Amino acid sequence: MANKSGNAYALTLLCPILQGCPKLCPEGMDDQTYSALIRYELQKLRVGEESPMARVPNTYLSRLFVLDDVPYQGKPAHLEHLKSNYLVFSSNFYGELEDYLTGMWNAINQEIKAILQYCAGFSSVNNAETFIRYVKACQVTTTFFFNGSTDEPLAEQLKSLYLKQELSKFVFDNQGKGPVELQAAFQEFVRRTQPTDLSSPTWKAGSYHLESVVYDRRVEKTMEATSK
Amino acid sequence: MITQSDLGDIQGNIAKAYGRFGFPVARHILYQVNSPEVGRQFVAAITPLVTTSIPWPDNSQTPPVATNVAFTYEGLRHLDVPEDTLHGFPDEFAMGMKARRDIVGDTGPNHFSRWDPVWNAEGDREAQRVHILVSINGKTEEVLEKQYQKIQQILSQAIAKFPEIPAPGVKQLDGHRGAGRDDLPYQPAGALVGRWNKEHFGYNDGISDTYFEGCGEDPKLVIGGGKPTGKDPRTLEGWEPLKAGEFIFGHADESCAYPEAPGPPLFSRNGTFLVYRKLHQNVASFNSYLESEGARFPGGKEALAAKFAGRWRNGAPLALFPTEESANRFVNEIAALKQKLQNNSATSSEKSRLEELNLQLVAFDYVDDLDGAKCPFGAHTRRGNPRSALMFGQKGAFGPAFDTPAALTNRRRMLRRGLPYGLVEEHPSDEGDHGVIILLLNADLSRQFEFVQQQWFNFGNDFRLANDQDPILGNHGINKECRGKGRMVIEGDKDKPPYFCSNMPTLVETRGGDYFFVPSMTCLRMIGLGIIDPT
Repeated sequence: MANKSGNAYALTLLCPILQGCPKLCPEGMDDQTYSALIRYELQKLRVGEESPMARVPNTYLSRLFVLDDVPYQGKPAHLEHLKSNYLVFSSNFYGELEDYLTGMWNAINQEIKAILQYCAGFSSVNNAETFIRYVKACQVTTTFFFNGSTDEPLAEQLKSLYLKQELSKFVFDNQGKGPVELQAAFQEFVRRTQPTDLSSPTWKAGSYHLESVVYDRRVEKTMEATSK
Repeated sequence: MITQSDLGDIQGNIAKAYGRFGFPVARHILYQVNSPEVGRQFVAAITPLVTTSIPWPDNSQTPPVATNVAFTYEGLRHLDVPEDTLHGFPDEFAMGMKARRDIVGDTGPNHFSRWDPVWNAEGDREAQRVHILVSINGKTEEVLEKQYQKIQQILSQAIAKFPEIPAPGVKQLDGHRGAGRDDLPYQPAGALVGRWNKEHFGYNDGISDTYFEGCGEDPKLVIGGGKPTGKDPRTLEGWEPLKAGEFIFGHADESCAYPEAPGPPLFSRNGTFLVYRKLHQNVASFNSYLESEGARFPGGKEALAAKFAGRWRNGAPLALFPTEESANRFVNEIAALKQKLQNNSATSSEKSRLEELNLQLVAFDYVDDLDGAKCPFGAHTRRGNPRSALMFGQKGAFGPAFDTPAALTNRRRMLRRGLPYGLVEEHPSDEGDHGVIILLLNADLSRQFEFVQQQWFNFGNDFRLANDQDPILGNHGINKECRGKGRMVIEGDKDKPPYFCSNMPTLVETRGGDYFFVPSMTCLRMIGLGIIDPT
């Protein structure tokens, strides 16, 4: 089954976008096609930790874009066109499809509606169940799926990344210390990083580089990991 | 292929020529961006006003005013468009029109030192100061003024949004020349009162328009506007639409490839290049040369004016109406039928007759005029769009690879927009501020605009005319006696010797302009959001 690699699932959707322009365009968007309206919704989305997808449980990585057409490679290739424009949604996540989609609907259904409202067939979607049905209708099999991370739940992965980063800092900070001093420092490290608590402190979902944000429930705020 | 959806993404006046919908007045406003934040805010706020190329079904459904936006290379740089994207632009766009002066003939009287202050404010080797062009075209001066006020308000609001940024983050540039002054805050343009389709030399203008695939215009306009096929030029079979990629990025061009354009593809797709030129007309010189030479020219002054342009001043093309009498009969019949149409008294046969006559304004390819007896090789319109003339009647002239009669023309075409500016007094002079704001659109500035300007208007070799220049647009220079050095051969006929015009003065001088990128609606929004990512 090409959609899965261990516990990791690769979802690929091609949602056909309605053709033409709405009768009533949103303000300031005269003459703009459904496709252009979706693209603008996507372009306005925040990225990184502020991305709505960061709120969707167990998302490893996801991507949304509008596919207008297939590019023409020039002669002697044939000039071919797609039947419609498509919204492409691809997501790699942990677990089973239906659980994931239910979590997604519960977390960000406002955002989903704002984007997918311009796709053919989406008008029948009004809850998690109909959303799942819609997604399955638009799903294409992901061939050659390569999962770029482990297939553990997201919380495990974020905690591991956090611990790995903190441990390497620990090594640099404590190099050359004697056993007693080192042990004390390590105990302090364990107390601070709480290796068995997946929820905090950890990396914040959506962070995608090392200068990222660590979430620590105990300090009730986010802080720059690198500024410490 | 351009679809209806693309037309909603392409700015207006590109695929949809405003001139055909009756916008007799326009203003061109220029801005300098000092702060990218304020600049982007200004762009984001003005984007909802921008008119697209979605066709208007008829004249009754056109809006009262149309607004469009374009950027110079420096403009895009000052809006923080990423370096990688900027590097995707061709050199000539990055250099700007001034730096290309030797190629486009902006030397001598055309030199930028003589341009309007707004186009000439840079110090030596300083980059372009003009960054954004906003053009508004209106049905009346009142709606134009209202839209102008609205845009000024949008600019003040954009500036006010960033109180911490030293003002002005975006500055409206003044320094356009007008009657007796050189500090106008915008370039006004407008059809001449009482002579709405004329330019200052008295020619009917804007007759022929380039037709390309998917432009959304009436399919019949391909006749005379597309590329000739070699079949009867009076019929649809005689023409094919040009490929959209000659004029719009992101679509296949005449070589079956996408035109060179910067990435990411969304940035350039459905955009194009605009050449803005303020062309001053030396009306007194034109009139006096026409009077003196016309007195000697067989056929007289009107015939000579027609030979200069390739069209009679009333618009009739020489290629189809070689005599003044036939030209007058033709336009009088058109005028009478138009009058009937306006009074709703035209019969259906009269309506189709009018359609037929309108086609005759453009339905020719010079194949039956290969010796230039009707329309000289060097006439302005024949130089600008030689149609099938460059085959010189030789079948298979361009070898098996290019078995089409306009192979040397098809990749040099441009979309031509524009309006006159200024007034010519009762006793015309060369002084004052009057001419044409010409806007040319093409996907390749070097292959299209610059080539035509350099090789076809300021040189004559392709027409077997040695180094003769275009009689009207040529930068003729002056000799020791301060007389113009322009020459033109007016070919004769079997029973007529050729006529040689000499000492032609420079009739048109450049007074400003630059190269602009006209982004798609999508790209305008991306510039506004500051999210262009070429990686």
